[in-house]
Parts: sequence; structure tokens; C-alpha cells
Amino acid sequence: MASVRRTAGALAAVLTATLVSAACSSSSGGVPQRASSPSAASSAGFPLTLTDDEGVAVTLNAVPRRIVTFAPADTEIVFALGLGSRLVGVSYHQFDDFPPRAKGIPAVGGPNTAPSIERVVALHPDILLATAGGQDWKARLRQVGVPVFTTNATSFDDALKDIDTLGTILGAGSAAHRLTASMAARADSISRTLAGEPAVSCFLDLGGLYTVGPHDFPFDLLKRAGCDPVTTGASTSYPQWQKDELVQENPSVYLFTSDSGDTVKGIEGDRQLSSIAAVRDGRVFSVDSDLISRPGPRLVLGIEALARDLHPALFAGSG
Amino acid sequence: MLSPRHRRLVLPALVALLLTSIVAGLAVGAVPISPLSSLRLVLWRLHLGPRPPGVPQTTEVILFQLRLPRVMLAVVVGAGLAAAGAVFQALFRNAMADPAIIGVSSGAALGAIVVILSGAGAAAGGFGVSAAAFVAALATALVVYRLARLGPAVQVATLLLAGVAVAAIISALMSLLMTFSGEQIRSIYFWLLGGLADASWRSVETAAPLVLGGVAFAVWSASDLNVTVLGEERAAQLGLEVERFKRRMLAVGALLTAAAVSVAGVIGFVGLMTPHILRLIVGADHRRLMPASVLGGASLMVLADLAARSVVPPVEIPVGVVTALLGGPFFLYLLRRERKVAGAGA
Repeated sequence: MASVRRTAGALAAVLTATLVSAACSSSSGGVPQRASSPSAASSAGFPLTLTDDEGVAVTLNAVPRRIVTFAPADTEIVFALGLGSRLVGVSYHQFDDFPPRAKGIPAVGGPNTAPSIERVVALHPDILLATAGGQDWKARLRQVGVPVFTTNATSFDDALKDIDTLGTILGAGSAAHRLTASMAARADSISRTLAGEPAVSCFLDLGGLYTVGPHDFPFDLLKRAGCDPVTTGASTSYPQWQKDELVQENPSVYLFTSDSGDTVKGIEGDRQLSSIAAVRDGRVFSVDSDLISRPGPRLVLGIEALARDLHPALFAGSG
Repeated sequence: MLSPRHRRLVLPALVALLLTSIVAGLAVGAVPISPLSSLRLVLWRLHLGPRPPGVPQTTEVILFQLRLPRVMLAVVVGAGLAAAGAVFQALFRNAMADPAIIGVSSGAALGAIVVILSGAGAAAGGFGVSAAAFVAALATALVVYRLARLGPAVQVATLLLAGVAVAAIISALMSLLMTFSGEQIRSIYFWLLGGLADASWRSVETAAPLVLGGVAFAVWSASDLNVTVLGEERAAQLGLEVERFKRRMLAVGALLTAAAVSVAGVIGFVGLMTPHILRLIVGADHRRLMPASVLGGASLMVLADLAARSVVPPVEIPVGVVTALLGGPFFLYLLRRERKVAGAGA
């Protein structure tokens, strides 16, 4: 295990070196450098103080030039804003797998939930972007002078707002506005297509029949894709559903996330679920978890994928 | 056991081992820092030399704000646990006694958790948590001692069974608290697993005075501990107020355990292994065994933590896992040997 990790680390180092040298050679070839222009244009708003989703006021004196992300969605956002060259650290390569270039950036964490404080400090980042939780290590990082900014999206609109906020923080506000405007436009186009269409009752299985309640993240995406989740009445966060409830609620579409451990065969072969409309009609679908669980630029792809499963007649050929 | 002439070299050798472990602990981690530059940075901080050129500021932060407090905490915790182990082993007249095995560590953790969950911990600060851990550790030590003592000496089986039973009750209480702890469940996990990942200068400042005091008292009581090992009758004949002395030493053992547990959670086997191995080397005289255990325990803890954070970087293994993987087999070996000796005696 240790040697595998070390090899992976060495590989990452080589990849980084290759990327860096590639970047250098391209800029020396007379191609205008992309990263320098937005930062020069938007350094006006600094110093900047913003309060994050955990109520922490974060002050930045200048546009962050060295960024570490500790959430795959943040990694995707940084790249989508054209700031990939400023990303000096990500959380873990099995999580931060998109865009593929992210795998060439040093990882500061492992499969557990806390980053190595030492690794983060050694990268001397100007900011670390994170998602909710991990108060202990966040406090530790702030103590040693690394600002930590937390975003915790609970809906599609919230995710767009977070992308705009990150754009402001990273000095790429206009790029962020362009991105969120195009995401909103695509989501609106889905809504227009679905206008007048009755919502389809559905169930989303996150694994082990754990699902989403009305205040949990992908719930909002289901609604936008024209689904009326049978879990609308759930009172707790990420509740676990019972099979008898499912049989009674009889969803027309059964969705499960690609990392849930479920398979179409497994669900259709479950005799206790055989009476459900979704199973009888063969409407059991796998959804790419990365598209619907990461509040980042690819969320619209997630909504589109859900809409295709839920309303195949309206979205035929669009995938 | 070594000859008296060689025995004199053991303490200096242990001091050297500890210093080497500390330098290694500073040099090894998720970010490599060469032993030489870490040593030179430490000397610079102690005003004993110039600042080594070309060392980035981040190295300084990693060394003095992250690694040094952690290594120092390992020294304090290891010393405390090993001294507690030596004290309990003498009191129970039994080489199987260890703060974790007899349930005293769990007791301390339970005390700390209760204070933290009730919110009183924030009011009283680090020492409040330590105080609660101490009271609970002492209560546990007294209960186990009373349960295990059926005659002149404490039988291995009775001691272990009493420890197991008490530890089971305590772990049930902890599970009960976990059920109602909600968001604070992570901090309870920390106490159960044990680890030095959250080490800061503050935790060193909390634990160091208590461990230092406990160790000083244990070393000072070394000759009386020697007498206790001979048995209560002999001890009384030699003029020791046995019951009073035992109560006092139980308190010292509980204090050392509580100080370690309140900053690092429950870490097993350090208190068992260290005095045991060193007894084989320096003999059973507590005047040598106690300081040797303190030094040895500190080194063991620094090295175990070093392994915990460098085997699969940047992932950290809880240090309790390392000590249990080292100490568990050692404990089983001891148990087997003890039974063989008992069998031969019968």
C-alpha cells in the first residue's frame, strides 16, 4: 500500500512537472498568458472581506495566486473559471478526478476527511476552499495563517450563488458571471421544455435506501428535472427509506447514484420491490453521482441526465 | 538483566534514544524536512546558532507550530503512560497492569467526555477536562483495585476480569453518550481512538505540569514501591504505612493517566510494554526502573506517532492503532509466559 501511494505521489510529481514545463514552453512561444489577464483586471476589489457559509469572515489582501481545494466541486469551479494554473493542491485524486488535469496536482488529503495540515502549509496557499464540516482542521489551518473559505450549497440556485462568490474571491468575477449565466440559461431551457408536463413520481437511492429529503442537496435537481420525489415529506436530513414505504408510494422511476453500490439487475431482481411501477416498467436508472452531488459547473449536465431518464419522450436525442 | 556495570549505561543510552527519536520525529512527516536543517532551526530558535540559510518560512511553521508541539506532546503522553504503568504494576504486584487494560484510561476518557458534552469543559478550560478525567480515573482505579484484590496479592485473572468488566461498563456508558451527542460525536471518537493529530502548544501546557509532577512523585516514591512489591506484610514490617501509601500511589497513577488521556485520548499498551521491557534490562529496582520507563515511554510514543503519520502519507493512522498492533501481540506473549510460570509453580 505504502509503495503504491509513493509511486502515485511520484507520478503526480512527474505529471505536475510536465504540465508546468508545458505551460512555460507554450507561454514562451508567444501565446498570451491566460491566467495573468483576469487577475490584473480584477485586483481592484481587494482587500476583500466575505463571510462564508459557516459564518467565518475571511479577509484577503490580494487576488489569491495559490489555491488549494478540499472539495471536488471547488476543483471543478476553479478550472471552469480558467484558474487551473493557480491550483496548487487538491484533496485526493480519487475524488478530484475532473477535469483530468486535476489528477496532476498534488493531493493534500487521503480517503479520510481531514487534509494533512503540513502538506497544505508546505504549498503556502493564499486560500483553501472547502465544503461544510471539519471544524478542527479548519481552525488549525487558520491558526497557522491559511485562510479557509467554506461553501455549502443546498440547491441549484445556491450553487450558482456560490460560484459567483468564489469568482469574486478569486478575482475572476466576470468569468464566474458568464459561467453561472450559461448554467442558468440551460436550466431554464429544461424548465421550458417541461412546462405543462406533469411531474413523474421518483425515488433517488443514494445506497442502502438512503435518500434525499426536501432540504438535502440533489433534491432540488430532481424537481428541476420534472420529478416529484416520493420523499418530499421526509422530516430528517438524508433519511433512510423502508421498502414497505417504497411499495406503498409506488414511484414511477427508480434512480440510483453510480456510487451507491446498486445495480439495475439487483433492484429489478429484488422480489420485495417487484410490485413497484418503476421496476415493472423497467424504469430503473443509474445516475452519475459526480454530476448531481458536486455543486459545481457540471450540475446542468446532471439535471439534463435526470430529465432524460424521467421524460425520455421530451428529451430524446439531446444526450 | 545486565551486569551492574552495564546497567549504569542504560539511562544515558535512553536519554540518547529519546533525543534521537525527537529529532527523527521533527524530520519525518508528510512534508520531508532534513534532520540537519530541523536540528539547526531548533538551535537557532534556542539562540544557539544562526538561522540556517535557504530554509523557507513554511518549514518554520511546520516545524514549530505543527511538528514540535506534537513531538513534545508525544514525549509527555508517553512518559505519563509509562510511569503510570510502572506505578500500577508495582501496586497490583502484577506485570499485566496497564492504565488501559485495567480500565483507568477509559474511566479518564469518560470523565473528560461528560465534562465536554455537558458544556462545562468550555467554562473550566483544559484543566477542567483534566480534572474530570482525573476524578473518573481515580474512581475507576479504586473500583478495579477493590474488585481485583482477594487476598494478599492481586491475581492476574481477577485483575484482568475486573478490568474487562469495568471497561465494558464504561464503554457502554460512552456508547450511550454517543447516541445523544449529535454533532459532537466526532470528538467522542477522538477519545476512543486516541491520537496526537490535534496537538498544540496549549495541550502540551495542559498536560506537561501534571505529568511532570506525577513523574517526580513516582520517582521520589521509588524505594517505597520496591518495598510494596515485597508484599504488604513485609512492607508493614519495614515500617511503611501500606494502605495510605497505596491510596496515594493509586492517585498518582490516576493523575498520570488522566493527564495523558485528557490531551491524547485512550492509547493502550505503552504503559504495559515500557516498564516490562525495561524491567528485563535494568531489573525491578524502581529507583532505576521508574526513570528508565519515563524515558523509554517517551521515546516509544514519539516513534509510534512518527510511524502513525508517515507510513501512508498524507493519511494518518490513529497512533492507538500502532501501539495496539505492537503491544497486543506482546501482551498475549506475556499472558502465555505468565501462565506457563504459574503452571510450573503449581
